[in-house]
Amino acid sequence: MMADRRRINGPPGGTRPAVFASNSQSGTGATTRAQRQRQPSELRKIFLKTGLIPTASGSSYLEFEPSASLAAARANPKSLIPPSSALKLACTVHGPKPLPRSAAFSPNLVLTTHVKYAPFAARRRKGHIRDSSERDLGVHLETALRGAIIAERWPKSGLDITITILEAEDDRWWGDAPDSHDASWGMMNVLAGCITAASAAIADAHIDCLDLVAGGVAALVSDESAGSSAAPKLMLDTDPAEHRSILSACVVGYMPARDEITELWLKGDSSKASLEDGDKRTGHEALIDGAVDAARGAHTVLAEAVRESLLSAVGQL
Amino acid sequence: MPLDTSTTYPLTKLRLDGRRWNELRLLQAQISTNPASSGSSYLSMGNTAIMCSVHGPAEGRRGDASGAGGSAGAIVDVEVNVAGFAGVDRKRRAGGSDKQSSRIATTLRSAFQSHLHTYLYPHSTISIHVSVLSADGSLLAAAINACTLALVDAGIPMPGLLCGCTAGMSGSASTPRDPRHDELDPLLDLSLPEEQELPVLTVGTTTSVPVGENNMDDEEGDMKVAVLTMDSKLHYTYIETMLAVGMDGCNQIRELLEGVIKGSSRA
Amino acid sequence: MSNQRQASSASQVPHLSPAELSYLYTSLSLPKSSIRPDGRSPTQFRPLTAETNILPGTNGSARVGFADGTQAIVGVKAEVEKTVLSNETVDARSEFGISEDRGEQEGSAAVGGHGSWVQMSIEIPGFRDDDALPVFLSEMMRESLVGAVGSAEASDMTGGLKGRLVINKRWHWRLYIDVLLLSQPLSYPLPLLSLTTHLALLSTKLPKLKSQGEEDPFFDDDWAVAEYLYPRVSLSSAKHSARSPFVRPPVTLLVISVGENIIFDPNREEIAVADAVLAISITRDSEAGNLKLLSIRTVDPPSRLTQPGIPNSENVNMLGAVASTEDVAVLNPATGEEEVPGVWRPRRGGVKRSVIAEMVKTVLKKGGVGEEVLEGLEGVEVS
Repeated sequence: MMADRRRINGPPGGTRPAVFASNSQSGTGATTRAQRQRQPSELRKIFLKTGLIPTASGSSYLEFEPSASLAAARANPKSLIPPSSALKLACTVHGPKPLPRSAAFSPNLVLTTHVKYAPFAARRRKGHIRDSSERDLGVHLETALRGAIIAERWPKSGLDITITILEAEDDRWWGDAPDSHDASWGMMNVLAGCITAASAAIADAHIDCLDLVAGGVAALVSDESAGSSAAPKLMLDTDPAEHRSILSACVVGYMPARDEITELWLKGDSSKASLEDGDKRTGHEALIDGAVDAARGAHTVLAEAVRESLLSAVGQL
Repeated sequence: MPLDTSTTYPLTKLRLDGRRWNELRLLQAQISTNPASSGSSYLSMGNTAIMCSVHGPAEGRRGDASGAGGSAGAIVDVEVNVAGFAGVDRKRRAGGSDKQSSRIATTLRSAFQSHLHTYLYPHSTISIHVSVLSADGSLLAAAINACTLALVDAGIPMPGLLCGCTAGMSGSASTPRDPRHDELDPLLDLSLPEEQELPVLTVGTTTSVPVGENNMDDEEGDMKVAVLTMDSKLHYTYIETMLAVGMDGCNQIRELLEGVIKGSSRA
Repeated sequence: MSNQRQASSASQVPHLSPAELSYLYTSLSLPKSSIRPDGRSPTQFRPLTAETNILPGTNGSARVGFADGTQAIVGVKAEVEKTVLSNETVDARSEFGISEDRGEQEGSAAVGGHGSWVQMSIEIPGFRDDDALPVFLSEMMRESLVGAVGSAEASDMTGGLKGRLVINKRWHWRLYIDVLLLSQPLSYPLPLLSLTTHLALLSTKLPKLKSQGEEDPFFDDDWAVAEYLYPRVSLSSAKHSARSPFVRPPVTLLVISVGENIIFDPNREEIAVADAVLAISITRDSEAGNLKLLSIRTVDPPSRLTQPGIPNSENVNMLGAVASTEDVAVLNPATGEEEVPGVWRPRRGGVKRSVIAEMVKTVLKKGGVGEEVLEGLEGVEVS
């Protein structure tokens, strides 16, 4: 494909601006790495509300509570750079609507998922065309939702789910070298948020589901204060900005009513987990169980949000 | 001293890879390489390697057959894919096909659309998929040969083998040719460095009579040019020489391909 | 067409009737002894032919073909590239006298490598580069390649693949892995692509470095002395771990569960009736010699998109022809749903945790499928 001639493109190579991270670090110690202040099994608070977009058949808005350190830093700013970011995303559902004439016959509801970062969502600007990580997230989300939707009730129909991420989780603490590690741990938190928000929006659109799918994240984190020799610990709902080294992480889409996982994405080295004595589980099993626990927590919020929207709808009638 | 043909060739009369002017590169070919397709082939000419698979004749996709051409005979559909690792440098592909591969695809489509007996298969599509694994010059010619082999393997009737070859001149050839004092030699089957530097044309020829029924006497008379492309600048007085050399190369290649086909049918 | 492409994260749904699907499901889910259409055992892989170093123009290449004719070719190309590190940051920090601890962290990209140095593109006929299936597959394979970090024992592979790509602080290799599927996929192409990539990376060689330290790199012209990307350990040092002569790239296995059975390397028909599909990436831990889990991903099973069958009791044409007692719904223990035996229902819901644990265990355990696959791959002559 040729270069886009409709826009004025910058020079192909480009330069990187100097990052004077150290200036803010001199002396005051204001920008030390954020520390996790929650218990290992304590989740961040989730704000979830449905039905905010009247033109869509279903919609939802989800926000994670910022880590405690962020709130402290905002109240008492020492640096212009926000120390951490928290997930904010909006989800819209359009449909069920008839498939276009050209599409092949489908006995089931055809699900289409689009996940798009807003250009300003991450610390590095995202383009307007979906990149591979956004497409990847879309596939994950589709897998998570398709297991829950009772698709054969809408033959020859399509359902479009669009998620716009307004603020994404960081993959690392901003003060770390930009290239210190590149594993996209923040993406897993984003996926968990996408799953939770999308199932709220689907419920808002009155699509029949087996259960509300909730997303949850757990990670094995090596505790930095104890030195590298300490065995990694299992934490739920990790904020990557709060940890120096995440060894492995797992995100699940989970249906509590059936105790089933519709989506599982685990990566990293989970073999060195330190579990309590007598715990026979292997590292990855503990990780999946942790993520399921996180998802159960998200599910309570999800159920409450759906109930709220239902009650308000009944009230209007 | 720069290593290019136009400076070294007049001294040594040998090309960069050590060939003389009228020598082909080593041509190796195989048919029925992919059992999942109707016909398939692998062909390498020197360092140019191509895999080709043919599907069909099969019922075309909906919408395609609505065209007027669809009802009269089969539609030949060609897809050319140059692998990212084919060239010397890894090529960044953005969004599918580039200019070069779509040009080759267009040329192949028009060549085989008129060459094959498409009238035998109305309302159907013959789809050809060409993958270039390694590109070292004469891409179009090699693609023509590979397609011919795959189509033979698929058993699609054609009047004769369509064979392609490239020919060039050993210099820029911008001044009129002096018949008494020929400085430039025509070259056969160009490799990539030669192709980038010298004028080059690709010619594809076919015979109108099936293989084996050729009468030795009028073999020359049966030859038909099916493909002829050239995009380099050159004085017109050289064209005839190049064409003659190219068509002679096509004949050599035809013999090699016939050998491949006969050899594999025996096995 | 475009709609279908969007949705086809798990390859195309084959056109099987509900009756065929039900038959397949029943035979595959037979307790303890599933019967596969091609007569394989549940852990058996399809026979394949493999060859490496087929393309002289690449740093490494491989071709793998299944008996059904699906073939994949992988070419690996390496290019030297300047490491774009925020040098400004490094300089500034050292000027301000930041603690050593931080300084170490700075250089970590130059030492540890970066995941984006490995680029993977998958070409599947009938799909565009940016369709869901190629993107998902390439992210899945790249993730495990980049994620596999070697142990301290293996000298050159300490930082895993991305560590191996570091030349010095300012220069690094960029690896392009181009996967070419030569025909439309007949089954979910993951096992084929993963095996081919594995072999191609094994045969990949990088030119021998002649410059030293922080100089601008230059290389030995002699291809014969080029070094393998995944270095072979000399025989003497391999003695203590005879089982794993050298570090190998990871492999991704495709596992499905049907009923209570776990089946490996499913073909197109088998995956169409799967309850759950998992892609599990493993590698051999060079230290201990046992297998290590790198990543798990669920793959959307195509069984969710199939057409349901209609039980006789609900079929108008059969009204009165069948005694109603024949159509009693039975609880399927695997899915927890009421089903009429012999009548196909598209799969719903997800997968139980115990099933996932069982799948992973089958792969990882001693003498399990993972070892079998890796040993099979070790049998392939890599020239």
